[in-house]
Amino acid sequence: MSSRHAPRILAIDAGGTMTDTFVIDEKGAFVVGKAQTTPDDEAQGFLSSSRDALSYWDTTVEEAFPSLVTGIYSGTSMLNRLLERKGRKVGVIVSKGMEDYFRLERGVQSYLGYSYSDRLHVCTHQHNEPLVPRHLVRGVPERIDVFGDAAIPLDEEAAARAVEELLDLGVEAICVNFLFSYRNPAHELQMKDIAEEVLERKGSEVPVTISSDHYSVRGDFPRLNTLTVEAFAAEPSRVHLRSIDSMVKEHGAHFDLRIMASHGGTISIESRELARTLVSGPIGGVIGAKWLCDHIGVENVFCTDIGGTSFDLAIITGGEYDVKTYPDMARTLFAIPLVEMDSVGEGTGSFVRINPTSCRIEIGPDSAGYRIGTSWPQGNIDTVTINDCDVVLGLINPDYFLGGDITLDREEALKSVQDQVAAPLGIDVYRAASGVVELFEDGLKNNVLSRIMGKGYAPVNYTLLSYGGGGPLHVGGIAEGMGFERVLVPAWAAGFSAFGCSCSEFEYRFNASLDLPVAPDISQDEKEGLVEMVNGQCAFLREKIVEEFSKSGVDEGEIVFRIFVRMQYMGQLRDLEVRTGFEWLDGPESLDEVIRDFEDLYAKVYALSARSPELGHLITQVVLSGTVEVEKPALPLEELYGDGPPTDASKGQRDVYWRGDWLKAGIWEMDRLKPGNRIAGLSIVESPATTLVIPPGWSAYLDEHWIFHLEPGKGV
Amino acid sequence: MPTYDRETIESLIDGTLPWADARAIMSSFKDPGRFDTYVAILQDRVPWEDRILLPLALHLYIVQKPDGARVVKCDCGHEFGDYHANWKLSANVFVRDSDETLQEVYPPLMHSDPDWIVLREYYCPGCDTQLEVEAVPHGYPVIFDFQPDLETFYSEWLGREL
Repeated sequence: MSSRHAPRILAIDAGGTMTDTFVIDEKGAFVVGKAQTTPDDEAQGFLSSSRDALSYWDTTVEEAFPSLVTGIYSGTSMLNRLLERKGRKVGVIVSKGMEDYFRLERGVQSYLGYSYSDRLHVCTHQHNEPLVPRHLVRGVPERIDVFGDAAIPLDEEAAARAVEELLDLGVEAICVNFLFSYRNPAHELQMKDIAEEVLERKGSEVPVTISSDHYSVRGDFPRLNTLTVEAFAAEPSRVHLRSIDSMVKEHGAHFDLRIMASHGGTISIESRELARTLVSGPIGGVIGAKWLCDHIGVENVFCTDIGGTSFDLAIITGGEYDVKTYPDMARTLFAIPLVEMDSVGEGTGSFVRINPTSCRIEIGPDSAGYRIGTSWPQGNIDTVTINDCDVVLGLINPDYFLGGDITLDREEALKSVQDQVAAPLGIDVYRAASGVVELFEDGLKNNVLSRIMGKGYAPVNYTLLSYGGGGPLHVGGIAEGMGFERVLVPAWAAGFSAFGCSCSEFEYRFNASLDLPVAPDISQDEKEGLVEMVNGQCAFLREKIVEEFSKSGVDEGEIVFRIFVRMQYMGQLRDLEVRTGFEWLDGPESLDEVIRDFEDLYAKVYALSARSPELGHLITQVVLSGTVEVEKPALPLEELYGDGPPTDASKGQRDVYWRGDWLKAGIWEMDRLKPGNRIAGLSIVESPATTLVIPPGWSAYLDEHWIFHLEPGKGV
Repeated sequence: MPTYDRETIESLIDGTLPWADARAIMSSFKDPGRFDTYVAILQDRVPWEDRILLPLALHLYIVQKPDGARVVKCDCGHEFGDYHANWKLSANVFVRDSDETLQEVYPPLMHSDPDWIVLREYYCPGCDTQLEVEAVPHGYPVIFDFQPDLETFYSEWLGREL
């Protein structure tokens, strides 16, 4: 190969406007390519984006693709289909009396995704356009009760009629969701048989899906949403994914494209349940953080991602992230696992305003996003943003934003901060900008602290990992006074989320509701019975996983299975996920071990004294994860040089307004620094994609993996 | 601080503003010029010349008469008299106090029990427009919805004398 780099991993992130491509070589070095997204034929945008990336390594798609061993896709096209309500015409059959699911939206969907103030501001609440219009929803008399018994038999005549009516209305898919079907799927199965008879009679091939077959979990509305979105948006997306996959193969690649799923693993594009890939981009950073922990031997990490529009936080404890079972996305509740992450509507593009009533600074929740702020005239933004304040203070170099691709106007930033913030408050423009940034960082700090303390942990046991375009810029402000064990900033912070996707496992994760009570005084025989029930559910999930993997030509023997048991104290409302190392539960002792682990976990998350084993336990869900070894990026590893940075890395000094004083800040070019270098604050390390600010009294040590360690009180 | 053009405020009044825009207005700070723009639009729409001091309810305004009086006035020009008195006292009233009359506006079993609650509808004597509806127990006094302190509103909120 003519190129010095041997590309191994390809990661594609197809956003609404730009498609980013990451190509990673065997040493962990990577390049990023960008091209406009082509929604009608995503393969084209992806190809241009790959060409762009590979051009940095002086190679071509034709030359590089055959050497790739793995390719991962994440994108927003499915989410956009859902948001824009552009999907297939779906008919829905539910238990009679429940036909208004999509109009009632359990109330909560009328304000999901709103800022706190708007959630309280009831007149802003608004129902979404129903995923399925009311005239395409049919109710069939039947009822399975909460114990799984048939309280009312299925009305077979009404069932057949419902299918016929929906077919006459020209639906392209039929979804069936009956109450308590996760307890007993009999009626859904019967309904499916009836539907298939009708389809055969009518010579129709419309697919019929039942909720118990796909998402056998409690919560009829999230379950229905997931099933419906699967038919509505996911199936059309599969067509796109197949075209990308075949395009990659046409260009010589030998791997099957995999997609990033919300549980943190990647799955095949032929997976039965593609709705699981609805949201994947934002969790990439958490996956990358976990990968980083595994490699550098850190167990507890607090991940913070400061982007243009939001601040995303996630906790990794003991090397594992949490998974949410009923997340919401695009103002819709789902019953699929999602890596637990909190998102706060404050980023570097957040608008800064003075509340005219209270005369106080307010930040966000809306933002200029990629349009930066008033300092970028081409963005047509007329409200001050955090970016503008950073420009005023001298933290951002207006001539080196995005490597100089964009020139910012410092005069304009000064003028708008003066007019919109300083003048109404009656203070100096620098004091105003500095105050805004302090307020912004304090807000982020409070969020970090409340997340950690809320879980019952303390910063001293955690490593703060900062990434995202704005992470390195404000990490110092966040870390100050928090007492984190370590503060790490990877040099590739700006691309960390996208990079993280390429670190994910090839993993299917399926769950099923069980609701098994475990009384405190239970006998060994009864325990044996419970273990059998858990294993029975596992066998069902295992079969699904094996079937999914077989589509990628993976044998059962290659799969590593792990059971996770979600449980809670009887009568409490929130369950916790106990992760076992077992493939199956084995005898009553294994159940005892699960319960012991739950007790320990509960004590950590809440408090030791809050444990209440006397209430008994409830096993709510059993989760089975199946993983197969795949190629992941290597951690960059370079020779260490001395403390002192090379002279050509220095870009001189700049005046920076820091908390009320003008200080001289050393300016450094990130790409010219050498591993082993230590830089004392106040310093600013600039790179094309991001800016790292090292506060006074702190220093930054660049380790052999190209990760900056921000440390207080260590001068050079 | 947001500002909106007259056209936006007009569609806000007419209810034709797209939801996303209306919500953005609701979630933002109040634009400082809103009251004056709003009143100017209403002033242009009414067929009479008296200056609107405050919109009081749908179709109703407190207006300044040339003789110095401040009266409640309907779109159509009918005047209810001084705003310190409840305009409802000089409006036409229709009371729905039986199943029969209630079912003219509600489906059976979906209205209040006329033994407990009655609907009192107030109409403009000039144009017969329905101006207000009260749901009250029998014999409950006529509700005086709103008696604004005009002088304070102008001096402390709008920052000018009335």
